[in-house]
Amino acid sequence: MIDLKKIRAEFPIFSHHPKLVYLDNAATTHKPQSVITAISDFYQKENTNIHRGIYPLAAQTTQKYEQVRNKVAQFLNAPNSNNIVYTSGTTASTNLVAHSFLNTRLKKGDEVIISAMEHHANLIPWQMICKKNGANLSIIPMNKEGELDLVSFRKMISEKTKMVAIVHVSNSLGTVNPIEEIIEISHQKNIPVLVDAAQSVAHYPIDVQALDVDFLTFSGHKLFGPTGIGILYGKEQYLSAMHPYQFGGDMIKNVTFEETTFADVPQRFEAGTTNVAGVIGLGTAIDFVNQLDRRAIINYLNDLTLDATGKLLKINGLEIVGTAKNKSSIISFALRNIHPHDVATFLGTDHIAVRAGNHCTQPVMDYFNLPGTTRASFTIYNQPEEVDFLVEKIKEIQQFFS
Amino acid sequence: MNEKLKNLYKTIILKHNSTPIFFEKNENATHVLKAYNQICGDRFELYFEIKNGVIEDLSFHGFGCAISKASTSVLVKKLKGKELAEALLSCREFLKVTDVEVEIGENVEEEFEAFSAAKEFPGRLKCATLSWDEMIGFLEKRI
Repeated sequence: MIDLKKIRAEFPIFSHHPKLVYLDNAATTHKPQSVITAISDFYQKENTNIHRGIYPLAAQTTQKYEQVRNKVAQFLNAPNSNNIVYTSGTTASTNLVAHSFLNTRLKKGDEVIISAMEHHANLIPWQMICKKNGANLSIIPMNKEGELDLVSFRKMISEKTKMVAIVHVSNSLGTVNPIEEIIEISHQKNIPVLVDAAQSVAHYPIDVQALDVDFLTFSGHKLFGPTGIGILYGKEQYLSAMHPYQFGGDMIKNVTFEETTFADVPQRFEAGTTNVAGVIGLGTAIDFVNQLDRRAIINYLNDLTLDATGKLLKINGLEIVGTAKNKSSIISFALRNIHPHDVATFLGTDHIAVRAGNHCTQPVMDYFNLPGTTRASFTIYNQPEEVDFLVEKIKEIQQFFS
Repeated sequence: MNEKLKNLYKTIILKHNSTPIFFEKNENATHVLKAYNQICGDRFELYFEIKNGVIEDLSFHGFGCAISKASTSVLVKKLKGKELAEALLSCREFLKVTDVEVEIGENVEEEFEAFSAAKEFPGRLKCATLSWDEMIGFLEKRI
Protein backbone atom coordinates (compact mmCIF):
# COMPACT_ATOMS: atom_id res chain seq x y z
CA MET A 1 0.00 0.00 0.00
CA ILE A 2 1.39 3.40 -0.86
CA ASP A 3 0.95 6.37 1.41
CA LEU A 4 -0.48 8.92 -1.02
CA LYS A 5 -0.72 11.73 1.51
CA LYS A 6 2.91 11.32 2.47
CA ILE A 7 4.05 11.36 -1.15
CA ARG A 8 1.95 14.41 -1.97
CA ALA A 9 3.30 16.25 1.07
CA GLU A 10 6.78 16.02 -0.37
CA PHE A 11 5.80 18.35 -3.23
CA PRO A 12 5.79 21.97 -2.03
CA ILE A 13 3.83 23.19 -5.08
CA PHE A 14 0.67 21.88 -3.41
CA SER A 15 1.19 23.91 -0.25
CA HIS A 16 1.61 27.02 -2.39
CA HIS A 17 -1.42 26.10 -4.52
CA PRO A 18 -3.70 24.02 -2.28
CA LYS A 19 -6.49 23.96 -4.87
CA LEU A 20 -4.26 22.89 -7.75
CA VAL A 21 -5.40 19.75 -9.53
CA TYR A 22 -2.31 19.07 -11.56
CA LEU A 23 -3.07 16.71 -14.44
CA ASP A 24 -0.31 17.83 -16.79
CA ASN A 25 2.38 15.41 -15.68
CA ALA A 26 3.15 14.32 -19.20
CA ALA A 27 4.36 17.89 -19.84
CA THR A 28 6.44 18.09 -16.70
CA THR A 29 6.23 16.69 -13.19
CA HIS A 30 6.51 18.72 -10.03
CA LYS A 31 9.64 18.48 -7.90
CA PRO A 32 9.85 17.06 -4.41
CA GLN A 33 11.42 19.25 -1.72
CA SER A 34 14.53 17.06 -1.70
CA VAL A 35 15.30 17.94 -5.35
CA ILE A 36 14.71 21.65 -4.81
CA THR A 37 16.89 21.61 -1.68
CA ALA A 38 19.68 19.72 -3.45
CA ILE A 39 19.84 22.32 -6.22
CA SER A 40 19.63 25.22 -3.80
CA ASP A 41 22.29 23.66 -1.54
CA PHE A 42 24.55 23.14 -4.49
CA TYR A 43 24.48 26.82 -5.42
CA GLN A 44 24.70 27.97 -1.81
CA LYS A 45 27.37 25.63 -0.52
CA GLU A 46 29.40 24.28 -3.42
CA ASN A 47 28.95 25.92 -6.83
CA THR A 48 32.17 25.09 -8.60
CA ASN A 49 32.83 23.87 -12.09
CA ILE A 50 33.62 20.27 -12.81
CA HIS A 51 36.72 18.53 -14.17
CA ARG A 52 38.78 21.71 -13.85
CA GLY A 53 39.43 22.91 -10.35
CA ILE A 54 42.05 21.24 -8.15
CA TYR A 55 40.86 22.81 -4.91
CA PRO A 56 38.68 20.74 -2.58
CA LEU A 57 35.31 22.29 -3.43
CA ALA A 58 35.81 21.71 -7.15
CA ALA A 59 36.98 18.18 -6.56
CA GLN A 60 33.88 17.56 -4.47
CA THR A 61 31.57 18.83 -7.22
CA THR A 62 33.30 16.71 -9.83
CA GLN A 63 32.96 13.69 -7.60
CA LYS A 64 29.24 14.29 -7.04
CA TYR A 65 28.69 14.91 -10.74
CA GLU A 66 30.30 11.59 -11.61
CA GLN A 67 28.50 9.80 -8.78
CA VAL A 68 25.19 10.80 -10.35
CA ARG A 69 26.41 9.21 -13.58
CA ASN A 70 26.86 5.98 -11.63
CA LYS A 71 23.44 6.42 -10.11
CA VAL A 72 21.82 6.86 -13.53
CA ALA A 73 23.69 3.79 -14.77
CA GLN A 74 22.35 1.75 -11.85
CA PHE A 75 18.87 3.18 -12.32
CA LEU A 76 18.83 1.89 -15.91
CA ASN A 77 20.93 -1.16 -15.11
CA ALA A 78 23.52 0.03 -17.63
CA PRO A 79 26.76 -2.00 -17.64
CA ASN A 80 28.91 1.03 -16.92
CA SER A 81 28.68 4.75 -16.11
CA ASN A 82 30.49 5.40 -19.40
CA ASN A 83 27.26 4.43 -21.14
CA ILE A 84 25.61 7.52 -19.69
CA VAL A 85 25.86 10.86 -21.49
CA TYR A 86 24.50 14.03 -19.93
CA THR A 87 22.50 16.18 -22.33
CA SER A 88 20.01 19.00 -21.97
CA GLY A 89 17.04 16.67 -22.43
CA THR A 90 15.42 13.99 -24.55
CA THR A 91 15.46 16.20 -27.64
CA ALA A 92 19.19 16.86 -27.35
CA SER A 93 19.85 13.15 -26.75
CA THR A 94 18.00 12.18 -29.91
CA ASN A 95 19.69 14.88 -31.95
CA LEU A 96 23.07 13.69 -30.71
CA VAL A 97 22.38 10.16 -31.97
CA ALA A 98 20.94 11.44 -35.25
CA HIS A 99 23.96 13.66 -35.95
CA SER A 100 26.85 11.77 -34.43
CA PHE A 101 25.76 8.20 -34.99
CA LEU A 102 23.42 7.97 -37.92
CA ASN A 103 24.53 10.83 -40.14
CA THR A 104 27.79 9.16 -41.14
CA ARG A 105 26.17 5.74 -41.66
CA LEU A 106 23.22 6.76 -43.74
CA LYS A 107 23.48 6.47 -47.52
CA LYS A 108 21.17 7.36 -50.34
CA GLY A 109 18.24 4.94 -50.45
CA ASP A 110 18.73 3.81 -46.84
CA GLU A 111 15.88 3.96 -44.40
CA VAL A 112 15.04 5.00 -40.86
CA ILE A 113 11.91 3.58 -39.25
CA ILE A 114 9.88 5.43 -36.64
CA SER A 115 6.26 5.01 -35.59
CA ALA A 116 3.05 6.88 -36.37
CA MET A 117 2.85 8.14 -32.78
CA GLU A 118 6.22 9.81 -32.33
CA HIS A 119 6.62 13.12 -30.55
CA HIS A 120 8.07 15.71 -32.94
CA ALA A 121 11.35 15.32 -31.00
CA ASN A 122 11.63 11.72 -32.20
CA LEU A 123 10.49 12.56 -35.71
CA ILE A 124 12.12 15.75 -36.96
CA PRO A 125 15.77 14.84 -36.12
CA TRP A 126 15.41 11.67 -38.23
CA GLN A 127 13.47 13.45 -40.95
CA MET A 128 16.26 16.02 -41.29
CA ILE A 129 19.06 13.46 -41.34
CA CYS A 130 17.15 11.39 -43.92
CA LYS A 131 16.59 14.41 -46.16
CA LYS A 132 20.24 15.39 -45.90
CA ASN A 133 21.41 11.93 -46.97
CA GLY A 134 18.70 11.06 -49.48
CA ALA A 135 17.35 8.35 -47.21
CA ASN A 136 13.72 7.49 -46.52
CA LEU A 137 11.79 7.88 -43.31
CA SER A 138 9.30 5.03 -42.96
CA ILE A 139 6.47 4.98 -40.49
CA ILE A 140 5.10 1.97 -38.61
CA PRO A 141 1.34 2.42 -38.94
CA MET A 142 -1.12 2.26 -36.06
CA ASN A 143 -4.75 1.32 -35.72
CA LYS A 144 -7.61 3.47 -34.43
CA GLU A 145 -6.97 2.26 -30.89
CA GLY A 146 -3.48 3.73 -31.11
CA GLU A 147 -1.60 0.42 -31.26
CA LEU A 148 1.32 -0.17 -33.58
CA ASP A 149 1.00 -2.66 -36.40
CA LEU A 150 3.96 -4.96 -35.86
CA VAL A 151 2.97 -7.19 -38.78
CA SER A 152 3.64 -4.23 -41.06
CA PHE A 153 6.82 -3.45 -39.18
CA ARG A 154 8.17 -6.96 -39.81
CA LYS A 155 7.49 -6.49 -43.53
CA MET A 156 8.98 -2.99 -43.67
CA ILE A 157 12.30 -3.77 -42.10
CA SER A 158 15.06 -4.67 -44.57
CA GLU A 159 18.80 -4.45 -45.17
CA LYS A 160 18.19 -0.81 -46.13
CA THR A 161 17.01 -0.03 -42.58
CA LYS A 162 19.78 1.63 -40.61
CA MET A 163 17.93 2.73 -37.49
CA VAL A 164 14.67 2.16 -35.66
CA ALA A 165 13.54 4.88 -33.25
CA ILE A 166 10.46 4.31 -31.19
CA VAL A 167 8.61 5.91 -28.33
CA HIS A 168 8.08 3.73 -25.26
CA VAL A 169 4.95 5.51 -24.02
CA SER A 170 3.08 7.82 -26.38
CA ASN A 171 2.65 11.29 -24.88
CA SER A 172 -0.58 11.97 -26.75
CA LEU A 173 -2.28 8.54 -26.73
CA GLY A 174 -0.84 6.90 -23.63
CA THR A 175 -0.04 3.69 -25.52
CA VAL A 176 2.71 1.57 -24.01
CA ASN A 177 4.51 0.16 -27.01
CA PRO A 178 5.91 -3.40 -27.08
CA ILE A 179 9.51 -2.20 -27.23
CA GLU A 180 10.89 -5.65 -26.29
CA GLU A 181 9.37 -7.10 -29.44
CA ILE A 182 10.39 -4.16 -31.61
CA ILE A 183 13.98 -4.45 -30.39
CA GLU A 184 14.00 -8.20 -30.98
CA ILE A 185 12.65 -7.87 -34.53
CA SER A 186 15.18 -5.12 -35.30
CA HIS A 187 18.10 -7.06 -33.85
CA GLN A 188 17.32 -10.06 -36.02
CA LYS A 189 18.58 -7.82 -38.82
CA ASN A 190 21.26 -6.15 -36.69
CA ILE A 191 19.53 -2.80 -36.75
CA PRO A 192 20.14 -0.51 -33.77
CA VAL A 193 17.12 0.75 -31.86
CA LEU A 194 16.64 4.00 -29.99
CA VAL A 195 13.88 4.08 -27.38
CA ASP A 196 12.41 7.43 -26.33
CA ALA A 197 11.64 6.83 -22.66
CA ALA A 198 10.65 10.43 -21.82
CA GLN A 199 7.11 9.45 -20.80
CA SER A 200 7.89 6.05 -19.31
CA VAL A 201 10.92 6.56 -17.10
CA ALA A 202 9.01 8.05 -14.15
CA HIS A 203 6.71 5.07 -13.75
CA TYR A 204 8.19 2.00 -15.43
CA PRO A 205 11.44 0.44 -14.25
CA ILE A 206 13.84 0.27 -17.19
CA ASP A 207 16.58 -2.31 -17.60
CA VAL A 208 18.62 -1.45 -20.66
CA GLN A 209 20.52 -4.73 -20.56
CA ALA A 210 17.42 -6.89 -20.32
CA LEU A 211 15.88 -4.87 -23.15
CA ASP A 212 19.15 -5.02 -25.07
CA VAL A 213 18.28 -1.52 -26.30
CA ASP A 214 21.03 0.32 -28.20
CA PHE A 215 20.12 3.89 -27.26
CA LEU A 216 17.66 5.22 -24.71
CA THR A 217 16.75 8.82 -24.02
CA PHE A 218 14.90 10.67 -21.28
CA SER A 219 14.61 14.04 -19.54
CA GLY A 220 15.07 14.82 -15.87
CA HIS A 221 12.05 17.11 -15.62
CA LYS A 222 9.51 14.36 -16.32
CA LEU A 223 11.15 12.28 -13.57
CA PHE A 224 10.55 14.77 -10.73
CA GLY A 225 13.92 16.34 -11.52
CA PRO A 226 14.93 19.72 -12.92
CA THR A 227 14.53 20.99 -16.47
CA GLY A 228 17.53 21.29 -18.78
CA ILE A 229 19.06 17.94 -17.92
CA GLY A 230 18.61 14.74 -19.87
CA ILE A 231 20.24 11.42 -20.46
CA LEU A 232 21.43 9.48 -23.43
CA TYR A 233 22.19 5.85 -22.71
CA GLY A 234 24.18 4.18 -25.46
CA LYS A 235 25.88 0.84 -25.90
CA GLU A 236 29.63 1.20 -25.57
CA GLN A 237 30.32 -0.11 -29.08
CA TYR A 238 28.13 2.62 -30.58
CA LEU A 239 29.08 5.54 -28.34
CA SER A 240 32.79 4.91 -28.85
CA ALA A 241 32.31 4.96 -32.63
CA MET A 242 30.52 8.30 -32.52
CA HIS A 243 32.15 11.58 -33.43
CA PRO A 244 31.15 14.58 -31.30
CA TYR A 245 29.03 17.22 -32.96
CA GLN A 246 29.60 20.01 -30.50
CA PHE A 247 33.12 21.19 -29.84
CA GLY A 248 34.67 23.22 -27.07
CA GLY A 249 35.97 22.94 -23.56
CA ASP A 250 35.98 19.80 -21.43
CA MET A 251 35.62 17.38 -24.34
CA ILE A 252 39.26 17.16 -25.38
CA LYS A 253 42.46 15.30 -24.60
CA ASN A 254 44.89 17.49 -26.46
CA VAL A 255 44.54 20.68 -28.50
CA THR A 256 46.95 22.47 -30.81
CA PHE A 257 46.16 24.97 -33.53
CA GLU A 258 46.53 22.16 -36.03
CA GLU A 259 44.72 19.33 -34.34
CA THR A 260 42.49 18.17 -31.48
CA THR A 261 42.20 14.78 -29.86
CA PHE A 262 38.85 14.23 -28.24
CA ALA A 263 38.22 12.96 -24.75
CA ASP A 264 36.88 9.47 -24.21
CA VAL A 265 33.23 8.61 -24.05
CA PRO A 266 31.10 10.12 -22.55
CA GLN A 267 33.02 13.40 -21.93
CA ARG A 268 33.55 13.95 -25.63
CA PHE A 269 29.81 14.57 -26.00
CA GLU A 270 29.65 17.04 -23.13
CA ALA A 271 31.28 20.15 -24.53
CA GLY A 272 31.32 23.28 -22.42
CA THR A 273 30.10 23.67 -18.87
CA THR A 274 27.14 21.35 -18.54
CA ASN A 275 24.12 21.75 -16.31
CA VAL A 276 25.97 20.74 -13.14
CA ALA A 277 23.16 21.79 -10.77
CA GLY A 278 20.75 19.91 -13.02
CA VAL A 279 22.85 16.76 -12.70
CA ILE A 280 22.85 17.11 -8.91
CA GLY A 281 19.07 17.61 -8.96
CA LEU A 282 18.59 14.61 -11.24
CA GLY A 283 20.59 12.45 -8.86
CA THR A 284 18.29 13.47 -6.00
CA ALA A 285 15.21 12.84 -8.17
CA ILE A 286 16.46 9.31 -8.83
CA ASP A 287 16.96 8.82 -5.08
CA PHE A 288 13.38 9.95 -4.60
CA VAL A 289 12.04 7.51 -7.19
CA ASN A 290 14.19 4.68 -5.87
CA GLN A 291 12.62 4.89 -2.42
CA LEU A 292 9.13 4.50 -3.86
CA ASP A 293 7.49 1.11 -4.25
CA ARG A 294 7.38 1.27 -8.03
CA ARG A 295 5.27 -1.86 -8.46
CA ALA A 296 2.63 -0.41 -6.13
CA ILE A 297 2.79 2.93 -7.94
CA ILE A 298 2.12 1.28 -11.31
CA ASN A 299 -0.84 -0.62 -9.84
CA TYR A 300 -2.20 2.54 -8.26
CA LEU A 301 -1.88 4.54 -11.49
CA ASN A 302 -3.45 1.73 -13.51
CA ASP A 303 -6.45 1.75 -11.16
CA LEU A 304 -6.67 5.55 -11.26
CA THR A 305 -6.51 5.56 -15.07
CA LEU A 306 -9.17 2.85 -15.34
CA ASP A 307 -11.42 4.74 -12.94
CA ALA A 308 -10.93 8.01 -14.86
CA THR A 309 -11.50 6.29 -18.21
CA GLY A 310 -14.75 4.72 -17.02
CA LYS A 311 -16.07 7.97 -15.57
CA LEU A 312 -15.06 10.07 -18.58
CA LEU A 313 -16.67 7.62 -21.00
CA LYS A 314 -19.98 8.07 -19.21
CA ILE A 315 -19.98 11.71 -20.33
CA ASN A 316 -22.14 12.09 -23.39
CA GLY A 317 -20.20 13.41 -26.38
CA LEU A 318 -16.80 12.62 -24.92
CA GLU A 319 -14.48 10.41 -26.90
CA ILE A 320 -11.21 9.03 -25.62
CA VAL A 321 -8.42 9.21 -28.16
CA GLY A 322 -6.03 6.32 -27.68
CA THR A 323 -7.64 3.18 -26.36
CA ALA A 324 -4.79 0.70 -26.56
CA LYS A 325 -4.99 -2.39 -24.38
CA ASN A 326 -1.69 -1.50 -22.78
CA LYS A 327 -1.92 2.11 -21.65
CA SER A 328 -0.09 4.34 -19.22
CA SER A 329 -1.70 7.03 -17.06
CA ILE A 330 -2.26 9.45 -19.94
CA ILE A 331 -5.81 10.09 -21.16
CA SER A 332 -6.47 12.20 -24.25
CA PHE A 333 -10.06 13.10 -25.01
CA ALA A 334 -12.20 15.11 -27.37
CA LEU A 335 -15.52 16.75 -26.53
CA ARG A 336 -18.05 17.07 -29.31
CA ASN A 337 -18.32 20.67 -30.56
CA ILE A 338 -16.01 22.09 -27.90
CA HIS A 339 -12.44 22.91 -28.82
CA PRO A 340 -9.73 21.58 -26.46
CA HIS A 341 -8.42 25.10 -25.79
CA ASP A 342 -11.82 26.23 -24.61
CA VAL A 343 -12.01 23.16 -22.37
CA ALA A 344 -8.55 23.82 -20.92
CA THR A 345 -9.29 27.51 -20.29
CA PHE A 346 -12.46 26.71 -18.38
CA LEU A 347 -10.80 23.90 -16.42
CA GLY A 348 -7.93 26.29 -15.67
CA THR A 349 -10.25 28.71 -13.91
CA ASP A 350 -11.23 25.81 -11.66
CA HIS A 351 -7.55 25.15 -10.89
CA ILE A 352 -7.38 22.04 -13.05
CA ALA A 353 -4.20 21.94 -15.11
CA VAL A 354 -4.53 19.93 -18.32
CA ARG A 355 -2.79 20.17 -21.65
CA ALA A 356 -4.72 21.04 -24.80
CA GLY A 357 -3.53 20.99 -28.37
CA ASN A 358 -1.61 18.63 -30.60
CA HIS A 359 0.91 17.67 -27.89
CA CYS A 360 3.82 18.00 -30.34
CA THR A 361 2.35 15.07 -32.26
CA GLN A 362 0.69 16.77 -35.20
CA PRO A 363 0.68 13.64 -37.41
CA VAL A 364 -1.21 11.78 -34.66
CA MET A 365 -3.90 14.46 -34.58
CA ASP A 366 -4.09 14.41 -38.39
CA TYR A 367 -4.56 10.64 -38.27
CA PHE A 368 -7.51 10.97 -35.90
CA ASN A 369 -8.73 13.99 -37.87
CA LEU A 370 -8.72 16.20 -34.79
CA PRO A 371 -7.33 19.72 -34.31
CA GLY A 372 -6.11 18.58 -30.92
CA THR A 373 -7.21 16.89 -27.74
CA THR A 374 -7.46 17.70 -24.07
CA ARG A 375 -5.06 15.55 -22.11
CA ALA A 376 -5.10 14.54 -18.47
CA SER A 377 -1.97 12.77 -17.29
CA PHE A 378 -1.61 11.34 -13.81
CA THR A 379 1.30 10.58 -11.55
CA ILE A 380 2.15 9.59 -8.01
CA TYR A 381 0.69 12.66 -6.25
CA ASN A 382 -2.71 12.56 -7.96
CA GLN A 383 -5.69 11.47 -5.90
CA PRO A 384 -8.90 9.64 -6.80
CA GLU A 385 -11.07 12.63 -5.87
CA GLU A 386 -9.29 14.71 -8.51
CA VAL A 387 -10.78 12.44 -11.17
CA ASP A 388 -14.29 13.14 -9.85
CA PHE A 389 -13.62 16.88 -9.80
CA LEU A 390 -12.40 16.76 -13.42
CA VAL A 391 -15.49 14.85 -14.53
CA GLU A 392 -17.81 17.25 -12.70
CA LYS A 393 -16.18 20.30 -14.29
CA ILE A 394 -16.23 18.83 -17.79
CA LYS A 395 -19.98 18.32 -17.39
CA GLU A 396 -20.36 21.97 -16.36
CA ILE A 397 -18.48 23.11 -19.45
CA GLN A 398 -20.72 21.00 -21.66
CA GLN A 399 -23.75 22.50 -19.99
CA PHE A 400 -22.43 26.01 -20.59
CA PHE A 401 -21.66 25.39 -24.26
CA SER A 402 -24.95 23.66 -24.98
CA MET B 1 -16.79 28.33 -13.15
CA ASN B 2 -15.20 31.75 -13.44
CA GLU B 3 -17.63 34.64 -13.96
CA LYS B 4 -15.28 36.74 -16.10
CA LEU B 5 -14.75 33.81 -18.40
CA LYS B 6 -18.44 33.08 -18.59
CA ASN B 7 -19.11 36.68 -19.57
CA LEU B 8 -16.43 36.63 -22.21
CA TYR B 9 -17.99 33.62 -23.83
CA LYS B 10 -21.64 34.39 -23.24
CA THR B 11 -22.04 37.72 -24.93
CA ILE B 12 -20.61 37.31 -28.39
CA ILE B 13 -18.41 34.28 -28.57
CA LEU B 14 -20.86 31.43 -28.13
CA LYS B 15 -23.19 33.00 -30.68
CA HIS B 16 -20.52 33.44 -33.36
CA ASN B 17 -18.98 30.07 -32.53
CA SER B 18 -22.17 28.12 -33.09
CA THR B 19 -23.45 30.22 -36.00
CA PRO B 20 -20.49 31.95 -37.62
CA ILE B 21 -21.08 34.61 -40.26
CA PHE B 22 -20.24 33.73 -43.89
CA PHE B 23 -18.65 30.44 -42.93
CA GLU B 24 -17.96 29.07 -46.40
CA LYS B 25 -15.23 28.59 -48.97
CA ASN B 26 -15.25 30.76 -52.08
CA GLU B 27 -13.89 29.35 -55.31
CA ASN B 28 -14.03 32.75 -57.00
CA ALA B 29 -11.86 34.40 -54.39
CA THR B 30 -9.28 36.83 -55.74
CA HIS B 31 -7.17 36.31 -52.61
CA VAL B 32 -6.98 33.62 -49.95
CA LEU B 33 -5.37 34.46 -46.62
CA LYS B 34 -4.25 31.79 -44.20
CA ALA B 35 -4.49 32.44 -40.50
CA TYR B 36 -2.73 29.52 -38.83
CA ASN B 37 -1.62 29.22 -35.24
CA GLN B 38 0.99 26.49 -35.19
CA ILE B 39 1.05 26.38 -31.41
CA CYS B 40 -2.55 25.28 -31.00
CA GLY B 41 -3.44 24.07 -34.48
CA ASP B 42 -6.07 26.67 -35.33
CA ARG B 43 -6.43 26.95 -39.08
CA PHE B 44 -8.63 29.42 -40.88
CA GLU B 45 -8.70 30.51 -44.48
CA LEU B 46 -10.18 33.86 -45.41
CA TYR B 47 -11.57 34.19 -48.93
CA PHE B 48 -11.62 37.66 -50.47
CA GLU B 49 -13.05 39.16 -53.58
CA ILE B 50 -11.30 42.49 -53.85
CA LYS B 51 -12.37 44.82 -56.66
CA ASN B 52 -11.23 48.42 -57.11
CA GLY B 53 -9.79 48.56 -53.62
CA VAL B 54 -12.99 47.33 -51.98
CA ILE B 55 -13.52 44.03 -50.18
CA GLU B 56 -16.66 43.09 -52.07
CA ASP B 57 -16.89 39.62 -50.66
CA LEU B 58 -15.34 38.01 -47.62
CA SER B 59 -15.92 34.62 -46.04
CA PHE B 60 -13.94 32.14 -43.99
CA HIS B 61 -13.56 28.46 -43.37
CA GLY B 62 -11.49 26.21 -41.14
CA PHE B 63 -11.35 25.20 -37.53
CA GLY B 64 -10.23 26.57 -34.22
CA CYS B 65 -11.39 27.27 -30.70
CA ALA B 66 -14.53 29.22 -29.91
CA ILE B 67 -12.60 32.46 -29.38
CA SER B 68 -10.65 32.33 -32.63
CA LYS B 69 -13.67 31.23 -34.62
CA ALA B 70 -15.90 33.93 -33.17
CA SER B 71 -13.21 36.55 -33.62
CA THR B 72 -12.78 35.61 -37.29
CA SER B 73 -16.54 35.63 -37.74
CA VAL B 74 -16.71 39.17 -36.33
CA LEU B 75 -13.84 40.16 -38.62
CA VAL B 76 -15.67 38.92 -41.69
CA LYS B 77 -18.86 40.65 -40.64
CA LYS B 78 -17.11 43.98 -40.01
CA LEU B 79 -14.76 44.11 -42.98
CA LYS B 80 -16.99 42.90 -45.77
CA GLY B 81 -17.85 45.79 -48.07
CA LYS B 82 -15.14 48.06 -46.69
CA GLU B 83 -12.38 49.81 -48.61
CA LEU B 84 -8.95 48.43 -47.84
CA ALA B 85 -7.83 51.52 -45.91
CA GLU B 86 -11.04 51.52 -43.91
CA ALA B 87 -10.62 47.81 -43.17
CA LEU B 88 -7.11 48.43 -41.89
CA LEU B 89 -8.42 51.05 -39.47
CA SER B 90 -10.98 48.57 -38.20
CA CYS B 91 -8.28 45.96 -37.64
CA ARG B 92 -6.20 48.43 -35.65
CA GLU B 93 -9.23 49.36 -33.58
CA PHE B 94 -9.85 45.69 -32.78
CA LEU B 95 -6.24 45.13 -31.74
CA LYS B 96 -6.42 48.11 -29.40
CA VAL B 97 -9.32 46.43 -27.64
CA THR B 98 -7.28 43.30 -27.01
CA ASP B 99 -4.02 45.13 -26.21
CA VAL B 100 -3.15 44.70 -22.52
CA GLU B 101 -1.22 47.98 -22.60
CA VAL B 102 -4.21 49.99 -23.78
CA GLU B 103 -7.18 51.00 -21.64
CA ILE B 104 -10.41 50.34 -23.42
CA GLY B 105 -11.85 53.61 -24.76
CA GLU B 106 -15.41 54.78 -25.13
CA ASN B 107 -17.53 54.13 -28.19
CA VAL B 108 -15.94 50.79 -28.86
CA GLU B 109 -18.07 48.54 -31.00
CA GLU B 110 -19.96 46.09 -28.86
CA GLU B 111 -18.80 43.08 -30.79
CA PHE B 112 -15.19 44.17 -30.31
CA GLU B 113 -15.59 44.93 -26.65
CA ALA B 114 -16.43 41.34 -25.73
CA PHE B 115 -12.95 40.29 -26.76
CA SER B 116 -11.32 42.71 -24.29
CA ALA B 117 -12.12 40.08 -21.65
CA ALA B 118 -9.54 37.84 -23.32
CA LYS B 119 -6.95 40.10 -21.70
CA GLU B 120 -7.69 38.26 -18.47
CA PHE B 121 -6.48 35.06 -20.09
CA PRO B 122 -3.06 35.75 -21.62
CA GLY B 123 -2.85 32.22 -23.02
CA ARG B 124 -5.91 32.94 -25.14
CA LEU B 125 -5.13 36.42 -26.47
CA LYS B 126 -3.63 35.02 -29.65
CA CYS B 127 -6.91 33.21 -30.29
CA ALA B 128 -8.69 36.56 -30.31
CA THR B 129 -6.14 38.32 -32.51
CA LEU B 130 -5.07 35.52 -34.88
CA SER B 131 -7.09 36.50 -37.97
CA TRP B 132 -6.81 40.23 -37.27
CA ASP B 133 -3.01 40.04 -37.07
CA GLU B 134 -2.86 38.23 -40.40
CA MET B 135 -5.33 40.64 -41.89
CA ILE B 136 -3.24 43.66 -40.94
CA GLY B 137 -0.19 42.15 -42.62
CA PHE B 138 -2.26 41.44 -45.70
CA LEU B 139 -3.79 44.92 -45.91
CA GLU B 140 -0.59 46.82 -45.19
CA LYS B 141 1.01 45.24 -48.25
CA ARG B 142 -1.85 46.38 -50.43
CA ILE B 143 -2.34 49.96 -49.37
